Amino acid sequence: MIKFTERNLATPKQMRPVYLVAFGQSDYRKRYPEKKTEELCIEAFRMMALDNKLKVDGIQELKGYIHSCYYGHFADHFGDQLLGEALIHDRLGLDPMGNVGIKSGGATGGSTLWMAANAVASGYSDSVLCMGWERMDEVDTWTGNHYISTAADKDYETELGHIYTGYYALMAQRYWKTFGQSSPAFRRTMSKIAVKNHGYAVSNPYAQAPARITVEDVEKSPIVADPLRFYDACLMSVGAASVLLCDEETAYKLTDDPIRFYITAGSHTLRAADRRHMEIPLLPNEKDNDEIKKTYAGLYGDSNIERYPGFTGFLAARMAAYYAYNMTGIVDPCTDLDLVELHDAFTISDIQTYEDIGLRPYGQGPDYVESGDAYLIDPATGKRGRLPSNLSGGLIGCMHSVGATGIMQVGEIFWQLQNRWAEFHEPEHRWTRWGKEKPADFENLQVPDAKRGLAISHAGVGSHVTCSVLMRPESVIKK
Amino acid sequence: MSKHEFSFNNMNPGATVLQRLDPMVIEKPRNPIHVHTYGGETPFFRGLTEGKLMATKCMNAKCDPAGQEGDYFLPPRVYCPDCLEKMEWVDITELARATAKVHTHITVEHPGAFNQVPMPCELISVEIEGVATVIMSQLTGGKGEIGMKIEPIFNTAKPSFTILDLAWKPRS
Repeated sequence: MIKFTERNLATPKQMRPVYLVAFGQSDYRKRYPEKKTEELCIEAFRMMALDNKLKVDGIQELKGYIHSCYYGHFADHFGDQLLGEALIHDRLGLDPMGNVGIKSGGATGGSTLWMAANAVASGYSDSVLCMGWERMDEVDTWTGNHYISTAADKDYETELGHIYTGYYALMAQRYWKTFGQSSPAFRRTMSKIAVKNHGYAVSNPYAQAPARITVEDVEKSPIVADPLRFYDACLMSVGAASVLLCDEETAYKLTDDPIRFYITAGSHTLRAADRRHMEIPLLPNEKDNDEIKKTYAGLYGDSNIERYPGFTGFLAARMAAYYAYNMTGIVDPCTDLDLVELHDAFTISDIQTYEDIGLRPYGQGPDYVESGDAYLIDPATGKRGRLPSNLSGGLIGCMHSVGATGIMQVGEIFWQLQNRWAEFHEPEHRWTRWGKEKPADFENLQVPDAKRGLAISHAGVGSHVTCSVLMRPESVIKK
Repeated sequence: MSKHEFSFNNMNPGATVLQRLDPMVIEKPRNPIHVHTYGGETPFFRGLTEGKLMATKCMNAKCDPAGQEGDYFLPPRVYCPDCLEKMEWVDITELARATAKVHTHITVEHPGAFNQVPMPCELISVEIEGVATVIMSQLTGGKGEIGMKIEPIFNTAKPSFTILDLAWKPRS
């Protein structure tokens, strides 16, 4: 059903404000034989409970606040354990409080936040645990790729190579040949994203793949599915992340510095094959802009080069942003926000998402990177970027521990908005804790005076997308 | 190691194998067989084994389609995604022979495990006139280009009874 009515497009409501109160995570690794998943989840919970200056006397007092629990874990076959959420819930000692497992592919972390936030917003619970994890190291990489490919349509897609990278690459090729006009400059922009995100991961003690690489390294890395190379793809990870969401009264009882939390969701067909041509739902910064309307008529109009959203855009991301901007009062994300964490499953899908969420108009995504906006400090000019993206390192540099990913993104923004990024990333003990040495080229990635942030959690080739918006309470736009 | 004999190479399929002692890590092999039905989409998969490309079309006069181009669905659907009435099967083999084009294409170099397609392989998405959707498939006998004219070929001699029974070749 994609023929919209006003009811379909109604602005989502929270019946009362929701606040993010605390965040904790494990570190992330490709293989983690030293610890069971249960241990990683408890480590994330302990950090959330003990390191966030909460006004409680330890773990048990905090557990006394939790009213319901939301667990994100996508791929049962990876961990070879059904009902894993019951195991984790038991090990956390939170029985007999109600809990539920949530799964929506790569967007599992985001969807779990969506359900948890709605429980608070509706009044069902005053305080909820939202935790996600994934264990992807029980099988080798290529069996892992097969497992991931079973999240495509098994009758019509999976058989064709058993490789999700391939299904993304079909979209990438279309984008690169139409909007990117096959130009080496466009390839270079994709490479810069991999360089940027691996580089930001260097200053993240939790990250799996810190690396100082060059554009040439990316472009010389092996092709997985042309045009996507090894460095264009996200990681496969083991790890856990955890946040506590509360209503206003409970939030201020627990912390002096809670952050307002909003979240919305969109979806689209599992198979890119089924995406029928339709009108573009316009975002607030597009709907009264004649130039953009003219551009879109050229791209998708009667003499169309492209179907919309076709293979070049993600309607699910557009819908999530559409709801989120209308819900929160964001008009121009590049002006109204201070940082973003995007779902960089692949460099190309990162670029496509810039357009879906209105950082740039459709067809002009690469400019977000090329203008320097996507950096904390643009390495080319030394100037501050307007809207730094994926300072955690993202899925390419930090992790894609699927159920935890969307929660990690939101948590990293939370610490940024609290101006506590350095506290969680800089001290030696944050590194030695995971058996790591703090790198000599560590950089302080705190965004000065950050007030608002946004995170995108994304599944499949765009089957589910959530859009989280975080704001400091004094910087809320829509009162 | 004094008390027990640990074997790191157990030749008995299905049996647990010790991989590491500390932390203790074991291997758990398995090889289950899944029995899977194509149900109401059987005409499509049976069609491939008979050299036919079968699509579906909504015949409900009251249906208000959400998409803006094409009536046929390929991949087929048993029920119309807009009105949820049962659709009708239509043989579009000749339509595909006359009008199919490459919408996008890639070369896969590294497949996932259990892949049956010889590598490297050319994956394509296929545009056909009057078809609302753009099916994923494989190209043989050429390198894909956007807009390339193609026609379907079918593995009727030794079918695999999967989507791999359908491929496309450049149309002369």
